Amino acid sequence: MRKILIAVVLSAVPALAFAQQNNIGTCGWGAKLFDGQSGVVPQVLAVTTNGTSGNQTFGITTGTSGCTQDGVVRSSWKTAMFIDGNKDRLARDMSIGNGETLDSLAHLVGVREEDRAAFSRVMQQNVSLIFPSGSTTDDSVVALKQVLRSDRELAQYAASI
Amino acid sequence: MGFLCLVAPCVAQAAGYLDELIGRSRELRLSERREWRRLMHYTDNLITPGVHSLADARRFFLAPDGKTNPQSELEATLAAFFSEVQETQETQNPQCAFIARYSWLDRELSFDPAHLPRQPCKRFREWRETLNPQGITLIFPAAFLNNPSSMYGHTLLRIDARDQNEKTRLLAYAINYAANTNETNGIAFAINGLLGGYPGMFSIMPYYLKVREYNDMENRDVWEYELDLSPEEIDRLLMHTWELGPIYFDYYFFDENCSYYLLELLEVARPDLDLTSDFRWWAIPSDTVRVVVKQKGLLKGTVYRPSNATVIHHRLGLMSPEERALVNPFARGRATTSDVAFTGLPAESQARVLEVSYDYLSYLRASGKNPVEHPEELARNLLLERSRVGGSANDPPVPVPPVRHDQGHGTSRAGIGGGRRDGLNFVELRARPAYHNLMDPEAGYVPGAQTEFFDLAVRDYSGGVGSRVEEFTPLRIVSIAPRNEFFQPLSWKIDVGWNRRRLANGAEPLVFGMSGGAGLAWTVPDTLRSKTMVYAFLESTLQANTRLENNYALGIGPSLGALVDLSGRWRAEVYVSEQSFLAGDTDTAWTAGLRQRYTLDRDWALRLDISREHEEKQSWNTVLLSLHHYF
Repeated sequence: MRKILIAVVLSAVPALAFAQQNNIGTCGWGAKLFDGQSGVVPQVLAVTTNGTSGNQTFGITTGTSGCTQDGVVRSSWKTAMFIDGNKDRLARDMSIGNGETLDSLAHLVGVREEDRAAFSRVMQQNVSLIFPSGSTTDDSVVALKQVLRSDRELAQYAASI
Repeated sequence: MGFLCLVAPCVAQAAGYLDELIGRSRELRLSERREWRRLMHYTDNLITPGVHSLADARRFFLAPDGKTNPQSELEATLAAFFSEVQETQETQNPQCAFIARYSWLDRELSFDPAHLPRQPCKRFREWRETLNPQGITLIFPAAFLNNPSSMYGHTLLRIDARDQNEKTRLLAYAINYAANTNETNGIAFAINGLLGGYPGMFSIMPYYLKVREYNDMENRDVWEYELDLSPEEIDRLLMHTWELGPIYFDYYFFDENCSYYLLELLEVARPDLDLTSDFRWWAIPSDTVRVVVKQKGLLKGTVYRPSNATVIHHRLGLMSPEERALVNPFARGRATTSDVAFTGLPAESQARVLEVSYDYLSYLRASGKNPVEHPEELARNLLLERSRVGGSANDPPVPVPPVRHDQGHGTSRAGIGGGRRDGLNFVELRARPAYHNLMDPEAGYVPGAQTEFFDLAVRDYSGGVGSRVEEFTPLRIVSIAPRNEFFQPLSWKIDVGWNRRRLANGAEPLVFGMSGGAGLAWTVPDTLRSKTMVYAFLESTLQANTRLENNYALGIGPSLGALVDLSGRWRAEVYVSEQSFLAGDTDTAWTAGLRQRYTLDRDWALRLDISREHEEKQSWNTVLLSLHHYF
């Protein structure tokens, strides 16, 4: 019964500019995920995988740890961490112009109901800017901010990122 | 109050008030109350009178004998609340570190802030403010595709924030209880897990991380059970979660596991609930979900969150042949949007093809089957093309399964039957504690997935043979996973246990054997939409018994079969298998048969099994009619 643990290091190390701008340090975090799809043998043992290992980042009452405080994400990191944790889904929803991750991003950024349609449209039009080829999360965060800033209706929301 | 009086009188005054509180707690017999028992995780000792706490971290107890003495722990807790320790990032005042105990004792004893100053507990308050709780949802990820053993499952709790709705639930936080280890050796992990060798700890994380893990990486559908808890109950749950933050419990996979402790959290939230007493020995996560659902007034609603693979399968089924033919080429980088086959499609079809191709590429990547060297570039291009098409594919969402997992048959099964084998009549009793057989009613279970533990059959034969154990199978897993042009899983099976085997002299000792095999399966006639499954396996068997020639037998051979649902209630399986025992006790054995099940109601089913077997150059028939009850 082999259990394969794949360390997926979702690196959220910010670009220098972003970090300085927000006056925060680095926020490196990782999550260990179990991949149950690899081969026949590991699956037999997956009966035991009702536990994956945690780490300090999401420990309750562990004090401050990079981007979290006692396990919950600091407000200055909320958007960056959401984008980092949902990159593929978010890029997908943006290109389609709707979806759960796009709704959630709009909520995080504080987009009001009357601006939601414009938000979706602008995201769809600019998906290639927000997720440039070979982009890191901080590239995307910075690009998202710029895209919002350069739209007349949505500029008001750029500051909340 | 400290600055108002000199140190000595203050201490004396505090000591006096502490004595008063202890006296009142004894009068009220608070340490015997259910709430205290729940907060401390006390459980009755197995043999001796008294209790012990399931918590294993020393720091959880303020009295040296707190693990086994509720009264002294309660008194030590009261004493600790007088601490003047200031909160920092590293330390907390006991009033904050044990905030659920403080809150309950304050309610019962009405602490006088003049004598017992209240601590601000800034870190807890900020934490709670961030969570901004309005509701609690129990989360149950269903089995992996092609992985019946994961039916065992996992559960977690989600804290739904006041400013969220069903569209933004990804932003909620999840409370997860898990074994905390970096062990990568699966065998060591399994053994330690069974023996409680790992510390189990609570953690809290954004729900989207868990959704990505289950829905996208592991392709498991997720069921969300929204619970009906009052604001006070939610507060108690959160305060207690905070208390448990730094505490570990020895983690046992089978009983004191993720699901068990989540039930304990719910019991702290609503002390009247009794959820855990059924799970003293065995806590299957899906069974714990059933217990929660069964409580009167606890379930508010359910939400189904299909996995990426489920969505892909659903949408492939909705596609026209022209659309479907483009998915593989796009996902593997062998088609472009300038191809005539694509440009000729209406915009809605183009959107559908690009979306499904992207999702399918994500599935391939998550499964470690990258179709090209730089899949991220291919994925990005598909999305850019999709954003240019605009519009919407207008596909209906994946329909919610009519029967939830918790609404399927009970996981324990007992049956009684009668039949005739090789000229002798018999009565059979059969039982297994868990979990699901391919011939059991399928509603609520993953098609093609079978996991059974400790299946025991005893028969009483006529003709002077008497009673005997016919079969005992501690573990039997079968995964029949159909293949098509998009998904190519390998079906597999494993079987460990004791079976009757006929010897040349006609005796039939109970022989230990292990067998396993791999195979291929398809649904027919349509590989995407049909339900009838056909399969072919290559299997190998190793038997060990002193009565076998050379004490063992090693065999190999094929097995073929088909599973057909003749109606919603009536299922049939025809099968034939052969084993050539080439080493040890050599022989050629084969079996052919027909199994049928008729579902009477959710927890009752009739079975009729007919087979012909051949071992050691002898052949015989068996017929068995049996009635099974699930509970």
